[in-house]
Parts: sequence; C-alpha cells; structure tokens
Amino acid sequence: MRARYPDPEGTVVRDGVALGYEVFGEAPRADRPTILLLPTWTIIHTRFWKMQVPYLARHFHVVVYDGPGNGTSDRVTDPSRYTPQSYAADAAAVLDVCGVERAVAIGLSRGAWYALELAALRPDTIVGLVLVGPALPLAPALPHRAQIGDHFLDPAPQDPQGWDRYNLAYWHAHYDDFTQWFFEQVFSEPHSTKGLEDAVAWAKGAGPSMLEAEARERGPSRPAADLLAEIRCATLVVHGCDDLIQSHDVGVEAARLSGGTLISFDGSGHMPNLRDPVRFNRLVREFVERVA
Amino acid sequence: MRALLPQREGSVHRDGVEIFYEVYGESANNGTGVTTLVLIPPSPISHSRIWKALIPDFARRYRVVTIDGRGNGKSGRPTSVSDHTRAANVADIVAVLDATATERAVLVAHCHANWWAVELTSAHPERVAALIAIEPGVPYLGTPQPHWRAAAATWDKQLDHPTGWELFNRHVITNEHRRWIEFFFGAQLVEAHSTKQFEDAVSWAMESTGEILATSEEAQDLAPPTRQEFEAICRNIKVPTLVIHGDRDVCQHVDKGRHFAELTGGELVIIEGGGHLGLVRDPVRVNRAISDFVDRTFGAPMNSHVWTRGLSRRKKALYVSSPIGLGHVRRDLAIVSELRKLHPDLEIEWLAQDPVTVVLRNEGETVHPASDWLASESGHIASESCGHDLHCFQALRTMDEILVANFMIFQEVIEDGMYDLVVGDEAWDVDHYWHENPELKRGSHVWMTDFVGYIPMPDGGDHESYLTTDYNAEMIEHIAKFPRIRDRAIFVGNPVDVVPETFGTGLPNIRDWTEEHFDFSGYIGGFTPPTPDQVEQWRSELGYRDDEQICIITVGGSGVGQELLEMAIAAHPIARRSVPGLRTIAVAGPRIDPDGLPRHPGLEVRGYVHRLYRHLAVCDLAVVQGGLTTTMELTASKRPFIYFPLAHHFEQNFHVRHRLDQYGAGTYMDYATTDPDRLAAAIVRTIGQKVEYRDVETDGARRAAAMIAELV
Repeated sequence: MRARYPDPEGTVVRDGVALGYEVFGEAPRADRPTILLLPTWTIIHTRFWKMQVPYLARHFHVVVYDGPGNGTSDRVTDPSRYTPQSYAADAAAVLDVCGVERAVAIGLSRGAWYALELAALRPDTIVGLVLVGPALPLAPALPHRAQIGDHFLDPAPQDPQGWDRYNLAYWHAHYDDFTQWFFEQVFSEPHSTKGLEDAVAWAKGAGPSMLEAEARERGPSRPAADLLAEIRCATLVVHGCDDLIQSHDVGVEAARLSGGTLISFDGSGHMPNLRDPVRFNRLVREFVERVA
Repeated sequence: MRALLPQREGSVHRDGVEIFYEVYGESANNGTGVTTLVLIPPSPISHSRIWKALIPDFARRYRVVTIDGRGNGKSGRPTSVSDHTRAANVADIVAVLDATATERAVLVAHCHANWWAVELTSAHPERVAALIAIEPGVPYLGTPQPHWRAAAATWDKQLDHPTGWELFNRHVITNEHRRWIEFFFGAQLVEAHSTKQFEDAVSWAMESTGEILATSEEAQDLAPPTRQEFEAICRNIKVPTLVIHGDRDVCQHVDKGRHFAELTGGELVIIEGGGHLGLVRDPVRVNRAISDFVDRTFGAPMNSHVWTRGLSRRKKALYVSSPIGLGHVRRDLAIVSELRKLHPDLEIEWLAQDPVTVVLRNEGETVHPASDWLASESGHIASESCGHDLHCFQALRTMDEILVANFMIFQEVIEDGMYDLVVGDEAWDVDHYWHENPELKRGSHVWMTDFVGYIPMPDGGDHESYLTTDYNAEMIEHIAKFPRIRDRAIFVGNPVDVVPETFGTGLPNIRDWTEEHFDFSGYIGGFTPPTPDQVEQWRSELGYRDDEQICIITVGGSGVGQELLEMAIAAHPIARRSVPGLRTIAVAGPRIDPDGLPRHPGLEVRGYVHRLYRHLAVCDLAVVQGGLTTTMELTASKRPFIYFPLAHHFEQNFHVRHRLDQYGAGTYMDYATTDPDRLAAAIVRTIGQKVEYRDVETDGARRAAAMIAELV
C-alpha cells in the first residue's frame, strides 16, 4: 500500500506521447509554489520519490510525472524524446495541465539537467531549483567511469568487470544483472537492500530497448555551465560525498556556478532522497519555504 | 555589563525634543542584502533596554536600530500632551529611519508602540518591509478587558484609597509613580520566577516620571480613528506581519493579537502560559520566532554545509567550560584526558571564552570558532566587583542578557554540529535555557558543578533570601519537571562537601536534595601535589632555601584583589619582626600594576609567576582569597594558608569554606575586620605550621570521566 495516493491523476499527451502524472496536496496557491518532482534516467519511474511525496504534500502542492519509457508513460523508442530539452517541454506541458504558475523543480541525476532546461524554458514559472546528485559534465568523471562510453557498442563482454557492463549488447543480454549491479553502485551506503530491490523492480518497467533509445539521443544541448550561469532563481544542490555515479565535485561546481547553496551528505551515495529521506525532506521544505 | 555595545549611537532633534538611537550589526548581512530591524519600545513606560535579550542575536544576522521613545531612556522628557501624540511618535521613528539611512525596515514593536507601527506602515508603506507585533496594544480589536474599562472610568477622579487597577489614575500615576509601576509590572509578569524581569521593568519605567507617563496615556488616545477605519487600516497592511502574543497577557488580551493577525493576514505565534512581556520572559522563543520569520520572508539563502549520515559519523562532544575562574578549565582538561583513555575515537570541541581559550589553545585543543562570538562572562564578573567585594549572586542575576546571548550562539553550534554529547562545566546558560526551552535539547547533556544552591548573605536581609529562595525553587522545579535535560549531573566533590543548609523556606535541604539528584566524582584538581622528596627538589628549583620562611600572597587573575594584596604587604614588615628570614612573594597578577605597590626588605613583588601552583605547593604559608581552586591546591599540597573570602561572595563564604572545613584546611579570616597587625599576628602563628588536613582524592577526573563515558 502506498503512504499516500494521488488526489487527481491523469495523462497529458505531448506530440503524440502520453505522460502519466499525479498531483498531491491542496490546489496551487499564489504564496506557495508547487513542487515539481522530475523524472530521471528512465531506468526508474516516479516511485523513486515515494519517500518525499507524503511529507511534501502535507505542506505543498506536489506534481510528479513519468518521463517517456517507464511508469505510466508511453514506451517511446524515438531518441529525440529523451533530450533534456524534450524533457523540459514535457515538464512544461504537465505544469500547464495542472494549472501551475510558480514551481520549485527538483531533479535528481539526469533530472538535474531537465530542471535546468525547464528553468530556461519557463523562467517566470520556475522560482527555485533543487539539484540532487546532478549528472552534469562540470567536473572530471570519477576514475572508474572515465572510459564509460568507449565500449558501449562493442560486443557484450564475457566476464564483465565494473563499468564494462555499460554496454548495449550486455543490457539486452543481461538486463537484470546490469540493473542489479548498477543500483549496487547507486546505493553505496551499507544496509541498502530495500532501496536496491525497489530500484531493480522499477527498472523492469523500462527494459533495455528504452535505455537504448535514451542512450542514442544526440540532441543539441547547451553547455550545462551556461545554463547554470543563466539561472535567476534560488538553487539548492544536494550531493552525496560517497556518490559513485556523479562525483561530489560536480555538485560543488553546480552550486558555485549557480550561486546556490550546497548541502553535502557525508556518507551518502547517488540517491540520498531514498537513503536519508528525513534529512532530505526537511531540507527541501526549508528551502521551498524560503523561496516562497 | 551589556552583552553587546552598539556600533554607533546618535540622536535626532524634532521640535526641540532629542530622540536617541543606537545601531548594531552594521556589517551583518543575511545574504539578501541588509535587512534592518527597528526595535520600537513602548515608551515612556519603558525604553530600548527592554530589547536587551534580543539584540545580540539579531545583530549577528541583521542590522538593528533601537530607539528610545520620547519621555524615557536617553531621549528628551517633554511634558505636554501635544508632545506625546501618536503622530509625534510616528514622526520620531521616521526621523530615526532617515538619520540612520534606513530606507526600509522590519518594524518590531511592543504593546502600544504597535499602534505607531501600524500608523507608520499605513502612512509610509514604502518604508516598511515587514511588521512584527509583540503583544500589540492597538485599539478596538479583540476582547475588551473589564479592568482597563473600569480604570479608565475613574482616570481623572481623586480616589480616597485607590487599590489594584484603580491605580491607573492620572493623580496616582503623577504623584505615586512607583506605586503604579510596581503594581502594573507585578500584574504583567504572570510567569513564576520573574524577579529579575520585574526589577528591570520597574527600573526602566522609573527613569521617566509619573507626570510624563500620565500625559502620554492621555495623548495616545487623541484623535482616534473609528473602529471601522482602524480595521480598514489593518486590512490594508500589505507587508508580511508576525504577531507574538502570550495567552495570559493582562495588558493586551491575546484575542487582540489574534484579531490583528487575522486582519493583517499575518502569522501568529502564541506563547502559552506567557504574559505581556514575552520579549524579556521567553527571549529564546521570541528570538527564534522572529529570525525564522525574517529569514523566510526575505528568502535568506541557506548556508552551505556538510551533513553526515548517522552511521558515518564519528562520536563528537562539545565541552562548554565556564570562564569564571580558571579552575574550571584545569579540571576539564584533566577529565578530557581521562575520557580519551576510555574513548580514544571521541572528537572533542570546546566552546569557551577568554581566558579559557588561551589555555585550551596552548594545550592543542580544538576551540570552536563560534567561541569568538561569545559575550564575556569573566569581564562581567570583574565589572561587578569592587574592592574586596563581589556580590556574586547579584552578578549572576545581572548577567542575564549575556547568558541568553551566549545560549543563542551555543544553540546554533549544537544544531549545526551533530554532537552526541554536551558537557557543561557550570555552563549556566545551557542548563537554564534548555530547561526553559526543553524542545531545543540536542544530544546527551552532562551538567557539572562544585556547588549547589544560592545562599543569601546575612546583610541582604529578607529580600535577598526571598530572591535566593526563588532562584533555588526555579532550579528545583526545572529538574523535577524535565529530568531528561540533565542526563547526568556530577557534583565535583563528595556528599559531605555539600552545605547542610536549606534552599529556602518550604524547600528541601541542599545536601539531601543534591545526594538524590547528583553523582559525586570527588574533588578534581587537575594537578598532582608533590611528594615530600619533590617538595625539597621543587623548592631548590624555585630558589627557596630551607632556612627561609616563604609566604606567598596571591589574589587570582582579576583586579579584584588589590586591597587584600596591599593589606598583606603592609603586614609583611610587622610579621618579619617575629619571623626572622621571612621572605614574602606578592603576586600582582595581570590586572594589578606591580610598580604601584610598596616595597619592603624581604618582600618581592612579581607581576606574573609561571606555574604558580608549584610555588604554592612548596611554600610555608599562603595568603589568598576564598576561591575553590587555589585553596584546594593548598589543601592537597598540605600547606598552611590564610584565606579571605570576598565580601558578599556566597560561594566563597559558604560553599568553599564549608568544604575546606571538611578537610580541616586553612585559616579563615574576614577582610572587613582584619588590619595589617592582626594579619601579621596570624602569619606569625601559622607560617611553617605542620598541618593535618584530610587527604584530597586524586582520582576525581577519572571518576568523572567514567560517568561521562557511559553516555558516549
């Protein structure tokens, strides 16, 4: 059973792709921005915000939605639907259908990039950004991920070590092994069995074809540093010091370039919202109240 | 002593009346540009000092301007009705805004000053960024209060025997100002244990006159708006508003605050159980409510910081060491050294102030940077002493604004620092304000002290014993009500060291209560006395010959001891007639000029003596004040000594003296009844005497550390 069920839920269709969204809490108010919880890499879906929604919805109007490829949204194989700009356009469509005029957008990992594009697309609507473990090319990749793209299209490795599994053929052949291993990296904290089980289960909703479509997106994108420098709204960056996916240095740079606040979670991995929900939730509330 | 002095002060002159202001926190910047708080007191019944418990905390975050309203404080004392209208007060505030180059301000007003704040906001909305109304005294709103209504009906009448609220009467206020003031604030301070706040409020009010107060009461209500008009003015206030109101307020009924918040669309904080003076009676809550509101309203950015996951943390303790007497840090270092043996991985940070921080840094300890923000407690104590006299109970009472200022800093440190443990060695602010605001407690808390119970000095009469009883009662109630605040209470000593006195009428016996509520570590000296062999060795190292009789006079590190030092120096030549070869070392300490002291044969005057305790440990006699650390060092070293407790110092006169008696140590003398001849006679009698003191335990630090370690 869920801790809280959506008040209304629905589907918005943008350019032929149906996107499922859920709305929680009171109707939007002028003096309190809506919180928009963005999708991330399509390997998981909206449920990764499950530890935020019930708390935040007691204080704010909250909107969550699935990006293409997972959850309640259409399974899309067109790579152009996976660019950060396309995600931003999806998010704007969801905000419109929910009647949101002011929002704080929260994006995790790749979702941070979607949040930046959304802030650029709707500067009057987005009054605050929370970037969690942002996946932005602002600092050298972690050493074990330095060659991550080089062997993506090679034949599947026979005895893969570490990030060798970041290989398209391996995804198709050993999807469950890949997702299991990947989320072990995401949750670098000890005692993460439940988070790991959840994420692996959510990954089954996408499957290798969706990840392939997303991996093949080569849309034009503006440098992240330019997007960050353009931001006019308050920004909060949350980054785990033990994040094995995106170096903590990325968070440091994101905060510096945006002029925002950096809260480092010492001992945390790539999804502190699931592993340290109490601290994360209170932090988000405090931030949004100040932005309000 | 004030907790914080203004960065600048000045005055404006309006129609021949001087209006005084102070500015604090000019360099403070909360990140969104400078926010200025303008604090408006309810003059002329009070003045800017009514904000004393709030200013230091605000000044660290915001720019703060305080005003003395006309008729009190350092402002002019006009006496006609036309001088005290609302319009005159509003114009004063605007003039101060102009004079301090404050374009827009957050107005913070108390009681009837809120009517001025409302009119100012209505007339000059561009000057007001937000309005914070504490127990607002505005017309019409809320529930009428019968006592005010009845009093107003007889305001002008000559009453035969006015009592109670009838004292709110033009003639009584004019002719018997103090009577009205004491009645009024007595009625307002509904909270138990408000003696200090009562004294303050009355003394501030008495800086004005009854004539001015009565006149201002009449002027305030002139040319009032209608109820409809006033409600419309409130509805039209567009700036963010916060109302703080005690629900037992008998000056302004809490419904007034509720109604005002409703009309202005403001936030409302009710202090349940609080009366009319929340800003002085619950300063921690009021501070936090206001800072929280201002930071949210103006979108102050959050500070970047690191938060460590629970399981990733190292164990961490914050040690708060009292700066009143250097004995605390010596014993605290001894305890920490033992604690580290039990928990080598425990990180320890210190929150302390000069001169304790100097000792800590020399020992390589980690001093928390917020230590630099603390207001000086030792400076305050020094400023309260005069001659061989320190009324230490009153000095602790008048330290109230310093304690709350320092508590606010401590609380910030503890909320940011993820500490598992707080050890407070006579950290009065922590213990008191955690009991007053129990929801703020973080981590385990060890309370440590070497005395329990305020004891009145005999010449303080009934009033002083009423005050000490009240303070003791508050402490006893705190502990009874919130046993969870002190996870461990350690008495530095043994049960017999606790005075067998009473806390006061109707209260328990101090020793019985202390035995029930404390653990006993034994004495903690932070110093190991020399063995008989070492005595000889130390003496020769220090240049003291066997055929000399060495007398050391020392009065501690403050300037308090000059009189005793001079008397003991005068006694030296007299005593030397009977003690051939008497060699006296007079230690002036850092605050007394050694060159200003007389010279005699056989007398050496020294400014500073490195490791004085070694000299004391091998002397033939010491003449000292009645402080615990020095007298117990002498006791542990089994040296004869004469001690003079400071006059009116209840701790030295009762607690220390009682403890020394338990060890059979020292010769007590009363400074007031001693002259150089009598002191010389005592020196002759006691110098070089073999003493039979009870042994002082040497395992106190280890025992205390073991008690603390259980909480780590």
